[in-house]
Amino acid sequence: MKRWQLILAGIIFVVAVFLPLVIRTDYTLQVLFRVFLFAALGLAWNLVGGYTGQLSLGHAAYFGVGAYGLALFAKLGVNPWVALAIAVILALVSAAVIGSVSFRLRGPYFALCTIAFAEVVRLIVKNLPNVTGGDVGVQVPLLFPTSTIRSFYYAALGLTMIAFGIIIWTERSRFGYYLMAIREDEETALSVGINTPRYKLLALLISAAITAVGGALYASLFLYIVPDQVIAMEISTEIAIVAMLGGAGTALGPIVGSGILETAAELFKNIFQEAHLLIYGALVILVVLFLPEGIVGTLSRKLHFFGKAPTAPLTASPLPGAKEEAERVSAE
Amino acid sequence: MNFYALLQAVLNGILTGALYGLIAMGMALIFGVMRIVNFTHGAFLMLGMYVTYVLFQAAGMNPYVGFIGAGLFLFLFGWLTYAGLLRPIRGQADFMVILLTMGLSLVLIDAVQLIFGADYHQINIALLSKNVRLGPQISLNAPWLVSFALALLLAFALYFFVMHTMFGRAARAIAQNRYSAPLMGINVNRVQGVTFGIGAAAAGIAGGLLLPVFYLFPEVGNQFRLKSFVMVVLGGMGSIQGAALAGLVLGVVESLTSLYWGNEWALAVDFAIFILVLSLKPNGIFGSQRV
Amino acid sequence: MPLLEIRNVSKRFGGLLAVNNVSFSIAEAETTFIVGPNGAGKTTLFNLITGVIHPDSGSIYFQGQEITHLSPDRAARRGIGRTFQIVKPLRNLTVLENVMLGAFQHTSSLAKASEESKKVLQFLGMSHVMHLPCLGMPLPMLKRLEIARALATRPKLILLDEVVAGLPTAEALRLAALLKRLPEWGISSIGGVEHVMQVVMRTADRVVVLDHGTLIAEGKPQEVVRLPQVIEAYLGPKYKELGL
Repeated sequence: MKRWQLILAGIIFVVAVFLPLVIRTDYTLQVLFRVFLFAALGLAWNLVGGYTGQLSLGHAAYFGVGAYGLALFAKLGVNPWVALAIAVILALVSAAVIGSVSFRLRGPYFALCTIAFAEVVRLIVKNLPNVTGGDVGVQVPLLFPTSTIRSFYYAALGLTMIAFGIIIWTERSRFGYYLMAIREDEETALSVGINTPRYKLLALLISAAITAVGGALYASLFLYIVPDQVIAMEISTEIAIVAMLGGAGTALGPIVGSGILETAAELFKNIFQEAHLLIYGALVILVVLFLPEGIVGTLSRKLHFFGKAPTAPLTASPLPGAKEEAERVSAE
Repeated sequence: MNFYALLQAVLNGILTGALYGLIAMGMALIFGVMRIVNFTHGAFLMLGMYVTYVLFQAAGMNPYVGFIGAGLFLFLFGWLTYAGLLRPIRGQADFMVILLTMGLSLVLIDAVQLIFGADYHQINIALLSKNVRLGPQISLNAPWLVSFALALLLAFALYFFVMHTMFGRAARAIAQNRYSAPLMGINVNRVQGVTFGIGAAAAGIAGGLLLPVFYLFPEVGNQFRLKSFVMVVLGGMGSIQGAALAGLVLGVVESLTSLYWGNEWALAVDFAIFILVLSLKPNGIFGSQRV
Repeated sequence: MPLLEIRNVSKRFGGLLAVNNVSFSIAEAETTFIVGPNGAGKTTLFNLITGVIHPDSGSIYFQGQEITHLSPDRAARRGIGRTFQIVKPLRNLTVLENVMLGAFQHTSSLAKASEESKKVLQFLGMSHVMHLPCLGMPLPMLKRLEIARALATRPKLILLDEVVAGLPTAEALRLAALLKRLPEWGISSIGGVEHVMQVVMRTADRVVVLDHGTLIAEGKPQEVVRLPQVIEAYLGPKYKELGL
């Protein structure tokens, strides 16, 4: 992993720790909260998406489970932090279920399946008003005794640092190599003895846990959630785009991506108001067309650090797998 | 339960199902020939609806004529979308295509909202109030019958076109083997552009046909977007007959779900079936990956 | 006990019987080549042995244990390595990292895996390209990489599908010489080749001939090559009486 990414991240984190001393307005802190929240979410997504090549568009499911888990268990009288822990466990269970079905699928089927699962979660939550409050929503407890935005900001920052740490550790471990092998060519990974289903699932579990915590934080800040807000496909795509814009498959990417996207989105909302979604959509299109490797990814390549192009799998169509090859060759 | 209520639900389901099938056929065509997962499909439907609406308001054109305009507009729009946005990213992973078409969808929806406002619109034509009675218990709404008939007609026309014309053959050749198709003199880019245009037009036409019976608002296409994926997968990605049949099946399933469990569960059931099929029969109920 | 035993294995793809009731066995530290014209079923057989696909009938035994329905990764962990006919380097990793993936089967330490891999690369004469990314490497290097990666898993048996196909003859012979040394490490190998007979003749202890999915001959290379049915399979019925 490139030195410069690590150094830059370190600088960002140090600056971030001291920022609240300089920034006074709650509004700005809230924007920064969002920046680091989505940085953490992006990093979590990246583990499964950028590194393992499983490009999920259903991470809102885990986000929502985190949010609703916290809210509903706290409603039952459980201590909010215990509720959070339970929510994470629920997210892990969801990930196990979703992964076991989705990972057997390739390409677009996989993405569509993750979307379908997230939608099922959303619809179940929406349609069981007695349990979840349905469309009316449900109250969420405060995780921090002082309801200042500052606590949430630090919590998001902390989550980001944890997620970043996990990514760094992964990059330097056998686990990371196995994930990248799965991303590059699953058939080859299998042929050298890598138990690909197990590792995909492991990556997803870690990813889901972090995402769920993020969801709980988000919910706790707003104190009240509705299904269409926290289990929306928009969240899934936002997470994926943050990682992509920054550079899927890079450690620093999601942090940069979130910084740019979230602040830009906020600016658009203020300046363009009516047309902010249009600009956002146009941004997505431009990124796909011109920056498929993301900012950090492209920089990485331009700076020629040992030619690792972490997001090449996103920009190249996969070769036929051994199974297809087996059938194709036999049919000759 | 009342037998007639059941029958009514089934019939209504078939009527909506035909329209669903048309939408799904468009998407199946696009996926079958180009392996493009088109998340803009719902927006195409929405555009078709608005075009038909404008023709109705400005020129007094009956939507059952105006849908042709919607179809033509979307055909061109689709072709341009393919040529300008999708062709440049041909070699990339499906995920990128999904993201791009999602972005485009956002752009289109917001643009329409800027132009027409977020209000719901509805049109009023004489046909709306007419119902066809089949015996004392069953009543079918006339506009739905007309759109059913038209959708069926167009579906057959599309099927015929794909199966029995030179162009259709060329498209299917590309679907089967993108690499050898050019070797047989097929202008892959042109065929793909036209195919995408036809797929978009199918969505647009469906939108036009829906105008009399649906509220018109910028996000109207979103519900169909995900549903059409369900249908395309159920039918076997890329099989337009499969997609059409899946449309009918889904229409009936939704109608029955609404009857017994309530409207809100219809979409959930769609997805549940989707997941079930994906996990048990990834190639769809009706078969494999060919148009 | 034979290292690998194939018993009455058949596999059908739709209307095509790709492998037809094939039986043979491989001993330890032996170099075997499966030869046959294009479409004879060699790659299918390899895929069957490594678990990528499973036979419709028959069974496969490795070191006495049945492996007929194992998944590819489990087959690999049992000690069966393979290379692919169309090379599959992990493009965005360096040569060394590619090989390390194989070495990781026996260690989780990056340092140890790196060390192991360097040894394998040395054996294959690739030390000078260790740290280069695979993107854009010439085919001979990529073929060696395939072998290196498989060897790093310390297999008992390695399947080399069309390992010399597309290589200039000199390179092919060099590779063959390397393969000839595998039995020194107790590794058996099965190569699948179509027409580079020079390699086969020099390297093989035994040859198995497939034609249209059926095993039509097996034995020492020199003997098998003269058999009329083998000549007929390769050159057509007219040349049956040739005898070399």
